[in-house]
Amino acid sequence: MVMDIATSTEDTVSQQAKENMKSKRRKVIKRYVTALSFLAPALILYFIFMLYPMIDAVRYSFFDWNGASTSMNFIGVDNYTALAKDDIFLRSLGHNLLWVVLSLIMMVIPTLILAVLIANVKKGRTFFRAGFYLPSVLSLAVIGVLWAKIYDPIMGPINAFLKSIGLESLAQNWLGEPLFVIPALVLASTWAFYGLYMILYLAGLQNISRELYEAADIDGAGPISKFWNITIPSLRNTMNLVISMVVIHALKGFALIWIMTQGGPFYMSEVVSTFVYKAAFSMNKVSYGTAASVVLGVIIIVFTVGFNIYRDRSEAK
Amino acid sequence: MIALLKRRTSSQLMLWITLMALLLLITSPILFAILASFKTNIEIFTSPFSLPKSWSFDNIIKAWNLGNFKTYFLNSAFVTIIGMIIVVLVACPAGYAFAQLTFRGNNILFYLILLGMALPVQAIIIPIFYQLRSMGLVDSLSGVTLVSAGLALPFSIFLMRNTFRDVPKELRESSTIDGASEWRTFLSVMLPLAKPGVVALLIFTFMNIWNDFLLPLVLLKSQENFTISLGLYSFQGEQATNYALIFGGTVISMIPSIIVFLIFQRSFVEGMSEGANK
Repeated sequence: MVMDIATSTEDTVSQQAKENMKSKRRKVIKRYVTALSFLAPALILYFIFMLYPMIDAVRYSFFDWNGASTSMNFIGVDNYTALAKDDIFLRSLGHNLLWVVLSLIMMVIPTLILAVLIANVKKGRTFFRAGFYLPSVLSLAVIGVLWAKIYDPIMGPINAFLKSIGLESLAQNWLGEPLFVIPALVLASTWAFYGLYMILYLAGLQNISRELYEAADIDGAGPISKFWNITIPSLRNTMNLVISMVVIHALKGFALIWIMTQGGPFYMSEVVSTFVYKAAFSMNKVSYGTAASVVLGVIIIVFTVGFNIYRDRSEAK
Repeated sequence: MIALLKRRTSSQLMLWITLMALLLLITSPILFAILASFKTNIEIFTSPFSLPKSWSFDNIIKAWNLGNFKTYFLNSAFVTIIGMIIVVLVACPAGYAFAQLTFRGNNILFYLILLGMALPVQAIIIPIFYQLRSMGLVDSLSGVTLVSAGLALPFSIFLMRNTFRDVPKELRESSTIDGASEWRTFLSVMLPLAKPGVVALLIFTFMNIWNDFLLPLVLLKSQENFTISLGLYSFQGEQATNYALIFGGTVISMIPSIIVFLIFQRSFVEGMSEGANK
């Protein structure tokens, strides 16, 4: 009898629990369906145009495939070992590194100085901000065609200017000389991209409290000492962001190089992206090119993730 | 006191002059191109820095007709506008879900999207080409449009998630307690509050797709399908030595982005700095 009551209460309790579970589960499912209705189109497009190609890229790189034949031969890591021995690929990687270093030199501090000047001018700040941003709104195709003409050895304005001031001996075939081609390209690319960094710096400068500068004024600090002791330390997070973006841009660069030199002369401005493009789309070495593109992708993703971890840590401090 | 004030204004003047000179130097390539587009080849060669002898639009008109710029223009407009519509329709609800809805897997899915932001197009462009080929979408504007929109998604979702995260959760809760469905809340309460974010998204997407070079280069084959970037590139190849015409084509290609920038200058710069601060 006692047992009976116990089991029956147990039954109702468990029944109630089941009911609860059921309604809870229904709620969870409903939540999922709602979330899915918001996310599904994005996830489908993301899967088709990013995730699946990403998996495919890794897959291709382990095969020998020319893009046309119906059969793909599995060759393991052969593409990667061949890349490690490919002189042109290694030089492309080296050019990317040189590109990174030169862009950092030309972008990080000069753009900051420009931003400080703009932030300090009283009349026409908006005008200067917009004016200096102007190059960044042009397409890379426009910038590439335009700068190719600026560097043109025959009619280009740089050589014309050197001639007009009597320095004809300095005139160069800027994009045709091994020594000058990468710096010339980096200059064009700096012109194309510094606008964004200028905006970032200007936004960062707005957040520095005026009081810091006023205190420094009382101490009699000059503009240069204020720049080093207040502006740069206060902008550390912005500078980190700018540095990371400059590095990633320098690793990804393609359009300007393709339009202005196609990697020439004699592979002197070949970078990994142009190497990938040529291998896959003009030499039919599809899987080999894909392997190179995977190397580039891994370098960029590792750098990005590493940078974000570093940033989270340093900002948490 | 007066001396100090004087020193201040004179240093302001110096600063202003420095900036003006710098601005002139930095924008000189653009000015050079615009001036050159009015000149003849001989003029460009003999007097590169002077004003043109006559302000004739010959080069621009010739480039427009010879270089099929009208076709390129319309193609770019198609790809960009449809791409923008797709991006807004897809990224807004997704960003909203990541910012405001609680469901298991929210974070993991969002990290997956962030991975897409880090991934460079170059790393997946080859499989994308073959995938489109198997779908029969190589050398078609709809193919470029779809891929452009797809590749723009990670950043767009990220931007919209940050926008919707800044909208107070209480607004959504009070609306759902009143019995409104999630979609209704999203459309009539939350989306209007996210307007500045949507404007920023539209500007970003316009610039990215309108100015893109790599995707059209890989995916488009026949001239009648070229976008303006690809068209200009092929035009400078065909007219390699005809500098005057090339500058005409360059100026044609510059105008739309400059106009869009001048109109939306303010939201442009603000959206840019806000997007980066997040």
